[in-house]
Amino acid sequence: MIIVKDLSVERLDKKIFENINLSLASGCISILKGKNGSGKTTLLKTILNIIEPSAGSIYWKGKLIKKNLYDFYNNITYIADKTTSLNRLTVKDNINIWKKIFLSNISVSQIEKALKTLKLQDYLNQKVSTLSLGETKKLEFLRLIIENKKLWILDEPLSSLDEDSMELMKQTFEDHCSKEGSVIFSSHHNPGIYVTEEINL
Amino acid sequence: MKFLNKIIFFYYREYKLNLSGFQDILTNIIFFFVSILIFIFSIGPDKEVISLIGVGMIWTLLLLSSTLSLRKFYQDDYENGNLLIIHLNGFSFGFIAILKTFSHFLFVQVPFLLSIPIACILLNIANDKLFYLFASFSIGSLILSCLGSISSSMNLMNQRNFLLGSVIVMIFSVPVIIFSVGIINMEESFNSLINILFGILLIVFAINPWASGLCLKLSLENN
Repeated sequence: MIIVKDLSVERLDKKIFENINLSLASGCISILKGKNGSGKTTLLKTILNIIEPSAGSIYWKGKLIKKNLYDFYNNITYIADKTTSLNRLTVKDNINIWKKIFLSNISVSQIEKALKTLKLQDYLNQKVSTLSLGETKKLEFLRLIIENKKLWILDEPLSSLDEDSMELMKQTFEDHCSKEGSVIFSSHHNPGIYVTEEINL
Repeated sequence: MKFLNKIIFFYYREYKLNLSGFQDILTNIIFFFVSILIFIFSIGPDKEVISLIGVGMIWTLLLLSSTLSLRKFYQDDYENGNLLIIHLNGFSFGFIAILKTFSHFLFVQVPFLLSIPIACILLNIANDKLFYLFASFSIGSLILSCLGSISSSMNLMNQRNFLLGSVIVMIFSVPVIIFSVGIINMEESFNSLINILFGILLIVFAINPWASGLCLKLSLENN
């Protein structure tokens, strides 16, 4: 699905990382591990073609990602380390906006089920600014279900989550992989998720 | 068709956001009218002087008021990561700049356009000049939105000095002010002046996606 070959990134003449290799097939999970400032977010942004690598190449479905960029974008969901939900709007408004801009076919009952699983059903009419950090993060995960894409790229998805939510994420990753989906996520540590490839930065 | 739907729903998102931040738009309009009143009080009750400088005053205040809203042009979407999400949803940075420019025109400039008749009453501007004012502002405000897009995207890379972007907009809007005020004061040259304004619009409209798109890309790269 995605292959990263000898990828290096330099910024202001400083090497962030070098010669990173990654090969992710359908149904697999990769983890990027490293301390703060080790370049996990930079690597994810390089894979997303936001940051220009100083060396190396990235392939999507056998083609260079730059030549296949919008097909790549059509198949990924990216969850950043900050929450993209709009603070001034309610949870319901955010869900409606995501449903519309991502042209999602998800039904109301599916969303209700997901909200119930994430324990967010009581906050539907509340503004996002009133939610806690963990709840906002869980709301962000709803985008994974709404967008329904093959490859999930997640930056520190497990930070600020309680144990129950972490367990839920593990389950969600496994479900996604059983449907031929793939996941790349960054974390300081592996909280017990079965991963096919581990990259230490 | 999918792409068109994405554009429509992008504006739905902008509409929702602007509706929730309606007080910002209202504050801009209030700033505009309060400034007009301050000018009137400072000049005194001389109707002829007020109507003579009224058009120039309206244009200057429209420029200042719309500059106030520039901080929000890209900043919120940049800080909460939505700019990246919109890009990953299939819009190039240049196209995002075009979409945001029209959004700024619709949700910030159009309310000013609608409030011009009231400003004309306050400044004793003749009714027959209203059409020229509308025509010049319709084109001029779109030019200001394009310039605003460029300066705001540049500001994302220069978080310390917001005023620099505003100064850039004001310098580049000098020709817009000259030709727009000229249209109203020299009605016989309406066609030629409106064509010049239209020409300026086409130039900034062509530059905007390139310049803003590049600044957006660079700012996200360094974020």
